[in-house]
Amino acid sequence: MGARKKWVQMTIFAIVLVIGVFTIMTNLSASDSKKYPQVGDKAPDFSLVGLDGKTHKLSDYKGKPVLVNFWGTFCPPCKEEMPDLQKQYDKWGKDIVFLEVNVDKNKVTVQGFMDQYSLNLPVLLDAKEEVRKMYGVMDYPTTFFINPDGKVEVKKIGQMTESFIDQTISQMAALKKS
Amino acid sequence: MFHNTKCDCGHQNPTGTTLCESCGKPLIDDDGSDLLEMRYDGMARRSQKSNPSILDKVWNFFSSVKIAVYIILVTLVASAVGTIYPQENTFLDMDPAQYYEQNYGTLGTIYYKLGFSHTFNSWWFITLLFMIGTSLVICSLDRVLPLYKALSKQQIRKHENFLTRQKVTYTGPLPEQAEAEAWTSLMASLLRKKHYRVHTDGTALLAEKYRFSRWGPYINHIGLIIFLLGVLMRSIPGWHMDQYMGLLEGETKQIPHTSYYIKNEKFNLELYEDKDLPESIKEKGQIVPKTYETQAVLYHCTANCDDNAAEPVLEEVHRADILVNHPLDYKGLQAYQFDYKSSPMLISVKPTLSNPRTGESFGSFDLPMNNPKDEYVVGPYKLKLKGYFPDFGLDDKGQPISKSNEPKAPAFIFNITGPNLAASGEPYMYFPRQIDKEAYSQDQINGAIAQKLNIAVGSMEGVQFAQYTTYLNIRVDKAMPYIWVGAAIFMIGVIMGFYWQHRRIWLRIDDNKLTLGAHTNKNWFGLRNEVAAAMAKNAIDISPKLLDKGGKQE
Amino acid sequence: MNVNSVSSTFLLIAFFVYLLAFLLFVLSITGKKWSNRDPETHTKRWGFVAFLASVAGFACHVTFFFTRWAEGGHIPTSNMYEFMTFLGMMIMFAFLIVYLIYRTPVLGVFALPIGFIIIAYASVFPSEVQPLIPALQSYWLKIHVTTAATGEAFFGVGFAGGLMYLLRAVDYNGTTKPNKREQRGLEFTLLFILILVGFIGSIFAFNGSGYKAAFTKQVTQTDAQGQQQTTTQDETYVLPPIVQPHGMQLVEMKPFLGMKQPLFTAPSWMEGASAGRKLNTVIWSVLTGLILYGLARLVSRKPLGAAISPVVKGMDPEDLDEISYRAIAIGYPIFTLGALIFAMIWAQEAWGRFWGWDPKEVWALITWLFYAVFLHLRLSRGWQGKRSAWLSVIGFIVVMFTLVGVNLVIAGLHSYAGV
Repeated sequence: MGARKKWVQMTIFAIVLVIGVFTIMTNLSASDSKKYPQVGDKAPDFSLVGLDGKTHKLSDYKGKPVLVNFWGTFCPPCKEEMPDLQKQYDKWGKDIVFLEVNVDKNKVTVQGFMDQYSLNLPVLLDAKEEVRKMYGVMDYPTTFFINPDGKVEVKKIGQMTESFIDQTISQMAALKKS
Repeated sequence: MFHNTKCDCGHQNPTGTTLCESCGKPLIDDDGSDLLEMRYDGMARRSQKSNPSILDKVWNFFSSVKIAVYIILVTLVASAVGTIYPQENTFLDMDPAQYYEQNYGTLGTIYYKLGFSHTFNSWWFITLLFMIGTSLVICSLDRVLPLYKALSKQQIRKHENFLTRQKVTYTGPLPEQAEAEAWTSLMASLLRKKHYRVHTDGTALLAEKYRFSRWGPYINHIGLIIFLLGVLMRSIPGWHMDQYMGLLEGETKQIPHTSYYIKNEKFNLELYEDKDLPESIKEKGQIVPKTYETQAVLYHCTANCDDNAAEPVLEEVHRADILVNHPLDYKGLQAYQFDYKSSPMLISVKPTLSNPRTGESFGSFDLPMNNPKDEYVVGPYKLKLKGYFPDFGLDDKGQPISKSNEPKAPAFIFNITGPNLAASGEPYMYFPRQIDKEAYSQDQINGAIAQKLNIAVGSMEGVQFAQYTTYLNIRVDKAMPYIWVGAAIFMIGVIMGFYWQHRRIWLRIDDNKLTLGAHTNKNWFGLRNEVAAAMAKNAIDISPKLLDKGGKQE
Repeated sequence: MNVNSVSSTFLLIAFFVYLLAFLLFVLSITGKKWSNRDPETHTKRWGFVAFLASVAGFACHVTFFFTRWAEGGHIPTSNMYEFMTFLGMMIMFAFLIVYLIYRTPVLGVFALPIGFIIIAYASVFPSEVQPLIPALQSYWLKIHVTTAATGEAFFGVGFAGGLMYLLRAVDYNGTTKPNKREQRGLEFTLLFILILVGFIGSIFAFNGSGYKAAFTKQVTQTDAQGQQQTTTQDETYVLPPIVQPHGMQLVEMKPFLGMKQPLFTAPSWMEGASAGRKLNTVIWSVLTGLILYGLARLVSRKPLGAAISPVVKGMDPEDLDEISYRAIAIGYPIFTLGALIFAMIWAQEAWGRFWGWDPKEVWALITWLFYAVFLHLRLSRGWQGKRSAWLSVIGFIVVMFTLVGVNLVIAGLHSYAGV
């Protein structure tokens, strides 16, 4: 009688343990997906078609530092910082990848804008705003500086000055070398 | 600690038994006169063993009601804290870190950092619920088996000590003319009339009713366990989905993570008329919706579903009108009417290209505000789209910009090539809305070409306008049947346990002396009244109060 | 209040009949000493009269319910006013049931005031018939709300029983530390009730006299597309502003007792649109409650608990304990069925999720868990007498918070309009 009781107890505990582990595990993995990338987190991969017509993935640029800037043509501070970003792109473009993720509804608007201001930064089109939502971007412009390991080094909300962009990139480039 | 487990009556009881399984004589403290501990009728419970092993210790922990109460209290307090500020799942697409700081200041940031912003799906809260579940399982198992054993084999003739130490007890002489066996059988028939099941053994009697009510708590615990398991099953992949979508009238969007697309064909809103509204609401100028519904169409994607570049091919599978309390349901995929917003927006126009001087029309073309084509061919002319401003305006330097991403004041710049025009094409700016056309003097901007060509919408035909955005909640929940079954079983258990009570009355007559004891799990007041009433009909008058031995009830 | 309607007349009559019944119950207990007759007969007779009066009041109240249903075209449980009057009615119903089981007039002295205080509280809210919004257009409105209220009503009677037990069992002559703690606890509970009465009284008085104070402020918000929008936020006070909302300007304010400006400003960490107004209401309630308490103490010249306890002196504490427990035991399954099960079914139909952890649902769960603790402690751990009485008192406070606090203080999908 005693041995049978013990066996019953053990079985019950085993079942309870299995369910417990299942509970905790599914819960942990579920809550991960809701988190938006903060500094130090891995930058989620995405795939978007660019103005050049080609598909670009963030993972294509693994091993290189990436600057991801979320913007729209209707956003005045984004317009202000564009020329600075262009200058920085001209300076650093070989070492750092610039990805301008645009949320305008229509690519003609974006192309027109780029032509109007003589810009040639690489633009990715996120008209459905899927990547914006993935990154938890609430205000424009928002910029993510991603280091070669694929983690968010700096997250800047708001317009950036040229010196800020320059300094942040220099720091990232220095990291890469070391 | 060893107790002599063999009772005077000859029965051998398992270790840990406090009342003899056979005659009820107290095995411990048999000289005392305190109320007997009647839980589980004195049977040995697994968790009361001496020398507990690790396994036993864990078992005892979860089988303890005190521990269960603590766990429930912690859950209760944690839940209360979770209501202080809105939880993360109440706002969409916003970064929680910013949200709490912006709206609730320092206290909000602390709340967020401590993890309370998602209290109800945090790992520790789920662990608490899991512990409650475990406790339910083990508490019940620990008690139900001994209880079942105790109640299934009951002796009729109980030891006098057992009877006098019950909470309801009576000792006294039989009434004058009464004869022991006759009195007993009269008692038996009186109690049978009150729905008792009576067993007699000469001058001893056991009357019992509503034993099923004792199983109530165990049944309700089983119900809760099934309920919690049902909730847990939602984590099985494919069993649960919960997302929100906003659709403008006429818009079709993909339901994320599925191969289904849903379209808001039309949104209908009916408001209460002024005559139906009370003064206070009319004063504030509030509007109260009477009904609102989304006429929705569900599509399934059959080709090009994951392609970024190509348009997906859709096949209609279902149509329904979605109202609050009446969701769309297609093979377990459900869409509920969640909310709506007034968002007047131009969807598309069908302008005509004509010669303003001769009136000759060259044809018309469909121009949507979202995703216009790169090029349109109208008659002999080619219209190439060079620029598009959804919300046209001029910045402080007089340069054209778009003020927002919504087509609130659309402006198109075409490069037109064709007869009587320059080979490289001539620019033409087109404002679909009359109000913008005048505000920005479209004809003046266009200059010479305005004499040769005119793009304009002839009538309201071909103009698609959306008034509302509907917000739908898309859900899948395959675990629901189990959850409802668990809830139903719980209710049955609770009703069984609360609205009936298990009552037992024992009596024995020795040499004209009547000894009576009675027990119930709830409602001693009712039991005393019933015993006193039966005795009164059998010629012994006693007030219910006097039957009470005192001590704790329940 | 729309005094012209037939239904509201019935409610008014019911209210006064309840008051009468209350006085008759008090008479049945206290008049014992004055009457020439045998005290037991006196109590029995006047208790019976009081019981009849309660039944009559209940009949009027039920008439109010059905006439309003006819007037409005839908069951009158759809807004705060309707719900609270319904709750008052069910409290009377629960009282009548429990009274019929135990036949103790003392219960009437405590249960009736709960009933008519709740009706008075209901009258604070707009009482016009409001048409049903789509979410409420379901037959579940009849089922869920009525069953939940019935369960809560029994908890209310349990509260009355618990209060009676404490008044009977707390030793006002004792001077030991636990004694003092109990006395203070009981006083505080009574003060709490007076604060609620103070709240109702002040809203009534100022609303009735048409008092108003208004504030405004401009708020600039930046939306997701970088656009700036400026909106105007207005706040209206029904009570004189002792405390004004943070960051708002005074538009107009009727002077009160020489006060022409708000005395203080709400602290800046009190975010949220109506935080200032709610703080003001709380301050007013506490002040008037304290004033009422002070007056009561002056009249009775001893702690209020000690002043009231003679009313319950004749009762056997075990009986009082039994009454309180029975009421809760009757109410618990009803509450579970109404406030949880039916609620979940309706939520699933209306919103697609049977449970969303919104504040009202969570507080219903908290109430349910609390009473589960009560039952387990009583049945398995032997917590009876004073401990059980305290739990039944706290439990009803939790119920009232769910009804009042969640609707008014915490925002959500589920809440009724606010004061």
